[in-house]
Amino acid sequence: MLVIVLTKGVPARTTQAAQVGGVLNREAMELVLNPHDAKAVEAADYVKRRVGGKTVALSMGPDTKLVPLMKPLYASEVSGVDEEYVLSDRKMAGGDTLATSYAVALGVRKVVERHTKAIEELEEMIKKAGYSEAVKAKAKELYAANLLSNRVYSDLPSVRGTIVSRFLSGDATSSGAVQELEAEKARVSRFIVLAGTKTTDGETGSVGPQVAEGLSELLGVVVPHATYVEDFDVDPSASTVDSRRMIGYLSQKLEMRLPALLTVAAEYRPRSPPAAGMKEVRANSYRGKVYQPFKWTAEDIGADPKKIGLVNSPTIVGTGIDIGKPPVQKSVGSTQVFLKAVEKTEFEGKAYGPYSRGDVAADVPEGLVARLRADGSVGVFDVPMLAEELTA
Amino acid sequence: MSDDSKGVWVYLQHDSAGLTVPSLELIAAGRSVADKLGQELVGVILGSGLDKMADAAVQRGADRVILVDSQDLETYLNLAYADAIYSLVKERKPYVLLITANEVGKDIAGRVAYRVPTGLATDNVQLAVEDYSNPVLGQFKDLLIQVRPDFGTRLARIYTPRHRPQMATVRPGSFTPLEPDPKRKGKVEKVPFKAPGYPAKVTEVVELPPPTPDLAGADVVISLGLGVLKDRSGSPKDPRDAYRLALDLKSAFETRGMKAEIGATRALIYAELKELEGIIGKNNQVGQTGATVKPKVYVAAGISGALQHRVGMQNSTKIVAINTDPGAPIFKIAHYPVVGDLYEELPKLAEAVRRGAIAG
Repeated sequence: MLVIVLTKGVPARTTQAAQVGGVLNREAMELVLNPHDAKAVEAADYVKRRVGGKTVALSMGPDTKLVPLMKPLYASEVSGVDEEYVLSDRKMAGGDTLATSYAVALGVRKVVERHTKAIEELEEMIKKAGYSEAVKAKAKELYAANLLSNRVYSDLPSVRGTIVSRFLSGDATSSGAVQELEAEKARVSRFIVLAGTKTTDGETGSVGPQVAEGLSELLGVVVPHATYVEDFDVDPSASTVDSRRMIGYLSQKLEMRLPALLTVAAEYRPRSPPAAGMKEVRANSYRGKVYQPFKWTAEDIGADPKKIGLVNSPTIVGTGIDIGKPPVQKSVGSTQVFLKAVEKTEFEGKAYGPYSRGDVAADVPEGLVARLRADGSVGVFDVPMLAEELTA
Repeated sequence: MSDDSKGVWVYLQHDSAGLTVPSLELIAAGRSVADKLGQELVGVILGSGLDKMADAAVQRGADRVILVDSQDLETYLNLAYADAIYSLVKERKPYVLLITANEVGKDIAGRVAYRVPTGLATDNVQLAVEDYSNPVLGQFKDLLIQVRPDFGTRLARIYTPRHRPQMATVRPGSFTPLEPDPKRKGKVEKVPFKAPGYPAKVTEVVELPPPTPDLAGADVVISLGLGVLKDRSGSPKDPRDAYRLALDLKSAFETRGMKAEIGATRALIYAELKELEGIIGKNNQVGQTGATVKPKVYVAAGISGALQHRVGMQNSTKIVAINTDPGAPIFKIAHYPVVGDLYEELPKLAEAVRRGAIAG
């Protein structure tokens, strides 16, 4: 099973984020992996141990920054991610959630397609070359590239009766082998995408559902999603996922057919995978890890140039607004306020007032304040007055 | 662009008690936008057996209500709800579509926006209507200005100039519901919906009791921040003492007939202090990732006032800030700055609130 984890490089300190026209300049600042993604990585590790397969981390951003950030993921959790992919292209920079989700969905599709295409290549070879060393060589090459599961081909002594070995020994006919490979292709197409519930920079939580929608559009099948997943399991045949999530005050259990996308909540704790079914887990697994991350450009993933990057994003970030000061501040222990109502008063030829209890004596000249203080009309704002105003 | 899109739409959520409070707030938000634009405010309600909801929506400010009333929408399924909203949007082309920024709203909004396609500005705390001009894109009249928390230190204006509808999610607690007007009249329209087969089904729904404390419904919220860890002299303090003082102030306000609750900053909650385990948790969190509150009185004790916290409480009617650091950003938005030690100031305030009860 293909387990695809979405991850993002976010500013290490949001207060020091370098911005250019409302867009984060990720090349110019210190990045960390989005902390919310850690749960998605945990969940991916669980799925791999539960049903077998390989975990793939996919990210978008400047590869020079992301590759070092993602490296520790190879050694994360129990088995770590097996492959890493970075969508890196200035043309995709500055995208809003729509443009980003489009590109990420294309990236996911391309990851899946690498695997289905490998199976198709092998099918072609079987049809063309029959029982021959050429089929074995092809299978070996694709297996070495980490593109075929142990079910199809394996060099592990513990794995017996792969599709290719049965075909080569004559136990399976060529049409039988192709049929089995078609079933494997369908299995590869039932992938799962895992993401954090949101990122610490944008905080939108939109990209998960939008990638699911993008995949639905690209693949021509509805790819369902569940947000805020606290618990889930994949069935042993790897065709459905059962999830439990909190939406408001509702705890909802959602059963989804794969492919599907889950955003994983902070409350998620991986289950212990059952010890049974190890044979199936091994059959679903791949050769191992590819330590050289894949870097793909917009062209590599087949992106429509009119749908990516800052200029093609529907939303525009405008000027900022500073949170304003409240009109009147009364500081306990320092602000001079009227302690009682004072009628209109004349002072040095000018009229002041009338004032009510609690009014700030800010526009009152010093000489008048002195007089009003002397007769107890003005005093320093204190805690009892504060309590009075709060409970009024 | 030629702009034949019209109408301000609000997607209204409901529960067994009727339209939810955030939905009433959303009507108020939509009303102000619709009035500025001179357009109709349309409430969109999805579900099954919705007749009584329509009147409530009209009385609270909607001009028209579209009820998508279908057995297929009885149980909430994100794919079905997104489909129902999308098909209406595609057919009728609203100018603005507002959705509550909660788990349900965020579950649907992204998919709808992607499909339209249009932009999606999330978690807005203010909305406005203004003309907008951009050197590259040109002039736009009467655009929706979407105001949401920015990365660091401020709020950002988000525009969706070229796509319709302009889609925004609105944070609960950012607007005040309008008083119901039983005389208000509006049009009600029923629209059928038939769900196609989905590769997803809801197998169980359990309604849990609302979280305690009820921050959004409180008259007074007394929030604690990392300042609880030290007193004025810098010596370490047991945060449980601060919690006790906050509780005492809470009960003081309650003697005055004001419902009070205890809040906390994200920083304090994420510090995962052993002493506060089981006492203060996620349900107490006020701020961008927690609850947005606007009580009559907000007491910020030992809170420096990071933007993420301020956006969750800045609309409170009266803000009291207690902090030993006179330069703390929280003082910029406080109506009542108290430069001092919360361990000294909270008891003084509690006492004064109580004494007022006797005097009054």
